[in-house]
Amino acid sequence: MPSTAPSTRFPNPTPTLPPNVNLTSPLLTFHLHPHFQLHSIPLPRLTYINKVGLAAFDRSRLTSAQYATHGSALRSSQASALETQLSVFRSLLQQFAATHAKDIKSNPTFRAQFARMCAAIGVDPLLASSGHGDSKGKGDSMWAQLLGRTVNDFYFELAVRVVEVCGETRGENGGLIEVGMVRERVVKGRVEGMGADTINRDDILRAVGTLKPLGSAYSVIKVGSKQYIRSVPKELNTDQSAVLEAAQVLGYVSVSMLMDNLRWTRARAQTALEDLVGEGMLWVDKQGIEWEYWSPGFMLEGDLPLEGFD
Amino acid sequence: MSTTPPAPSDSGTPNNSNPKTTAGTLLPNDTFPFPREFFFPPFFTRQTNLTTHHAQLTKWSSLLLAYCRHHRLFRLSLNPDAIPFHNPRINRRLAPGDIRGVVGFLRKDGRAEYVLPLGQAKKDGTMTTTARGGGGGGGEAGEGGEAFIYWRTPEEWGSLIEAWVEETGQRGSVLTVYELREGEGTRGTEIWGMDGDVLVKALGTVVKRGKAQIFQSGEDSLGVKFF
Repeated sequence: MPSTAPSTRFPNPTPTLPPNVNLTSPLLTFHLHPHFQLHSIPLPRLTYINKVGLAAFDRSRLTSAQYATHGSALRSSQASALETQLSVFRSLLQQFAATHAKDIKSNPTFRAQFARMCAAIGVDPLLASSGHGDSKGKGDSMWAQLLGRTVNDFYFELAVRVVEVCGETRGENGGLIEVGMVRERVVKGRVEGMGADTINRDDILRAVGTLKPLGSAYSVIKVGSKQYIRSVPKELNTDQSAVLEAAQVLGYVSVSMLMDNLRWTRARAQTALEDLVGEGMLWVDKQGIEWEYWSPGFMLEGDLPLEGFD
Repeated sequence: MSTTPPAPSDSGTPNNSNPKTTAGTLLPNDTFPFPREFFFPPFFTRQTNLTTHHAQLTKWSSLLLAYCRHHRLFRLSLNPDAIPFHNPRINRRLAPGDIRGVVGFLRKDGRAEYVLPLGQAKKDGTMTTTARGGGGGGGEAGEGGEAFIYWRTPEEWGSLIEAWVEETGQRGSVLTVYELREGEGTRGTEIWGMDGDVLVKALGTVVKRGKAQIFQSGEDSLGVKFF
């Protein structure tokens, strides 16, 4: 049995915490026994989809070269220590969730950190609450009861709002709407006294994720530097995506801009533009020197030419 | 008291900033907060996609109703070179045909009527003696022209006037149209300063419901009695 100091329990640990989990964040402090300081325990990178509880802990990851050199006895004692640690961690997380359910619901930063924490130890609160975790131990039913319902309801309600906003705007944008715009409209419509700072982009994205079982109608796509929610089955081909991406720069594109910048033929540019107009994803301005095709998002945000030149 | 948009800048001083209220952007010499779409160049081009066009018509309709309500305009000149069909900031105009398209869209909801010039033959063969609105198919006013924009329909005005008559205990009294429009009795209400033709139309809707009667009261004026 190796000696005392926790930092020497695992020699030269290579697995590290998932980079986006900040266990020392002041928002989440866990008071653990001093021998079990979390930051000295290297958590292997865990995949968590459809896995709840210790099944998510992939033991095979411990069989790295460094561990092998210390023999199987050490290996198994380290593994069981880690199991214990994780079990302690999960039950503390559960207690934490129970006492802070209200905060989780109302504070988006807190919620995001909490969600990342859950992911790091292999628990998806949304899946847990839907009853996917069956035989994973007595803690899970409490989990689903205390936290799952709160989080699940929150995202379900949010998903409904997202669907409404997409429906309201589909006429003017062809079913493609920027995530930030959805967030603004959702926040504007809220009557429960929750202000603009209680829902962030991550929440919107997660809510859209819960719509996946409804089929491919709702998805998040990335075009250029922006993320959009697509609420129509129509998928963009590469030329169409390229046009939309080009339109993000100035808010519009023209045939000659596409020809000059992307080296397309006139026919190719016109086809892509007409396709997008046909899908309702671009508006046409015919009063300039050349026809200009505008992204409808610029009607709602972005820099419009508000400086006069008269 | 609702907040009012800031006063427009003087026409003499160049305005480098874009004064905004929470509702929209101001243009010089106009207190109406224009919505963002008004600064979106394609907003002034008839969209070829049907769904997009419908969304465009809906936005234009809302804009005209809001603009007229804000300025208490009862009739609007359909001039492509003037606000609100023209945005000088972005140098875009709605073409005359498209202006008529918007008016037509509003007409379907009963929210607009063309103003027929005096002396024009109406569908029933009589001549217009006042600038009454034209309904039905032949209601086009030609180049430019005017339209009543009903941010409150004649029916809605009728109910409002009826309510005022009730509140002031004037059921059974005879009132002249002049009194309603410019009398001391209606000062401070929305009825005061109404467009004469819209007022008469409004009274007509109450007559149709059997709650009032209009008659000639002197040479050039009309009177009304509410039951």
